[in-house]
Amino acid sequence: MEREHFLIGTLGLDQHENGAVAVRRMLEEAQMRVTYVGRFNTPDSIAEEAAQAGVDVIGISCHSWEYLDMVPELLEKLKERGDDRPVVIGGSVITASDAERMKALGVSAVFNGAPSDDQIIDTLRDLVRSKRTETA
Amino acid sequence: MTNGKDMNNAHPTTRSGIELQPYYMDADENAERPGEFPFTRGRRATAAAGLIHRELSGEGPAKKSNEQFKYLIEHGSTGLDVIGDAGSAAGLDPDHPLARVSCGTQGVSVCRRQDMTDLLRDIPLDKVSISCSLNPLTTVAATALAAEELNFPLEKLRGSLIHAPLYVESCCYAVHFPVEFRTRVALDSIEFCTKYMPKYHSYIEDTYFFSESGNDPVEEMALGFLQIRFLTRRLLERGLDIDSFAPRIAILVNCGMDFFEEIAKIRATRRIYSKMMRDEFGAKDPRSLAVVVTSHTSGLSLTAQQPANNIIRGSMQAMALALAGVQAMEISTFDEAFRTPSPEAHMVGLRTQQILSLEALPGKVTDPLGGSYFVESLTDEMENRIVARVKEFEDMGDPEELERKGVFADVFQQAMAKQQRDVSKGRQPVVGVNCHAVPEEQDTLLRDVAERKIEPYLSHVEEIIAWKKTRSMDRVNDALKRFADAVEGDANIIEAVRDALRADVTFGELKGTARQALGLDYDYYGRVEPPMKAVA
Repeated sequence: MEREHFLIGTLGLDQHENGAVAVRRMLEEAQMRVTYVGRFNTPDSIAEEAAQAGVDVIGISCHSWEYLDMVPELLEKLKERGDDRPVVIGGSVITASDAERMKALGVSAVFNGAPSDDQIIDTLRDLVRSKRTETA
Repeated sequence: MTNGKDMNNAHPTTRSGIELQPYYMDADENAERPGEFPFTRGRRATAAAGLIHRELSGEGPAKKSNEQFKYLIEHGSTGLDVIGDAGSAAGLDPDHPLARVSCGTQGVSVCRRQDMTDLLRDIPLDKVSISCSLNPLTTVAATALAAEELNFPLEKLRGSLIHAPLYVESCCYAVHFPVEFRTRVALDSIEFCTKYMPKYHSYIEDTYFFSESGNDPVEEMALGFLQIRFLTRRLLERGLDIDSFAPRIAILVNCGMDFFEEIAKIRATRRIYSKMMRDEFGAKDPRSLAVVVTSHTSGLSLTAQQPANNIIRGSMQAMALALAGVQAMEISTFDEAFRTPSPEAHMVGLRTQQILSLEALPGKVTDPLGGSYFVESLTDEMENRIVARVKEFEDMGDPEELERKGVFADVFQQAMAKQQRDVSKGRQPVVGVNCHAVPEEQDTLLRDVAERKIEPYLSHVEEIIAWKKTRSMDRVNDALKRFADAVEGDANIIEAVRDALRADVTFGELKGTARQALGLDYDYYGRVEPPMKAVA
């Protein structure tokens, strides 16, 4: 099987990068492929780069409340493009009730609280597997 | 009732009545005393009676933040630390398409001269020192204009501004300017203050924010000293006298959970600074040798899990800072892991500092840990390692060149990855995260504050849009043209900013125009057109 491929980055003016960097390293160490876009992305630029790179999943690291507006905007942009790539988000700023709200809007998985590396990797693997099966 | 100000030194004895000396020392008369070179034991011989208590503040428009300031001062804050929201930090006006959704949520929204006036109105600026985490291009000029409008003499103005031209793009507070321009802004800003604002700390070396990437205390201070040395050399090259600016440099350090190492770090920092200023840079004024150390407890050490534990972390870190003899402190609030500080968390942070100063009294005796075999040994070792690491960086080449090559970006990225790996692999115990965790449904204490959010101040965005339309665009464009010329020339950029702000040019317009004059796109994000073009 081709290696799982993820886009990892943050949205808008959120300058906290620790989480994104850490997840990137974690996935790379698990032999997954990462297209790392770092900070200062817009919903448009993320949607475009995800399509260009042909990633399996888009991962957004969230450390300020901007995500509450920008993640739904990203979902909208993807929909407009007819792109059904899964979006996952993570970060300590995401509260339990917001996690539910984001899932209801179409986010495929939310990593808040303190998930272990294995939990994150397993969830992402499952997501890629079911997505690829669905597409195949 | 009292605000406690007059109670700080009300206990010259212990509770049992034992009389206390201002400091204690070895029987050897030649042993180092506090207040003497190389200042390992403290800037002054007497205890830090006037320790400045601050809490991070700033929310919504300037007027709203000004109310918050007054509230904190009424409750015993003796200093303020104002942080800009995401747009203000990046130099974008609140009507920028990417800045709207965070307008005022993580700090104050400031984008024009009158915002700074509203922010500082009725604050006793000669007594309450305002530490600014705001955009370096515009802050000093806007502060000077605000003081002018508020009829406050510039020469009495206290406060401080962070400069980190070598590192801002790599970890936090990116402003999207090339490193040479960031350096020029820092140097011009320091020179401007030396000329007009002699009591203002024109240059805070903020090692806090880049240590929050996960760098250890040796790396934190090595990066800090590297930048201090770089900027000092460049100021000397401009012909400034070392004693004209060195007394107004202060260092804002982080304080993590390694209690004794943090204390040793601060003692070593004072020693390294004084030796460097005297022996390498030839400073003679005693104030140039005894550096002011201010501090902030570590947000990175706080957890979203079991947030009440963060109150304990904050108080332990604050105790370390008090024992190390810092001049000012602030405590990261217990909710920092998941939100901009709530009013409740602000108050706990402030009360922690007050309990420390008024009840536990660690500051009654200067450098109470001086002479401890452990602390002295650790201080020496920290000094050696920090100095060696600075030399390693300097041997690699010119710091601006290192920045362009991405050396610092790499240092920060490595630190971020290592920090998370150490926690996730359990190498660094964090209670509530990788040990002594509880199921989410049981983790309820103080959780409710996480669900209460600050909504973006969209009405302020509308106000700015409307206000922009009331300006004379001819005047704005003239001012921007003059400013662009100043960026292309070598005039003091802060004086040019001040002139432009008088014509109601906004901070975002200044940033964009500076970018254009430097040959870059007006808007880094390609979303906003320059006002000059809009008029044409």
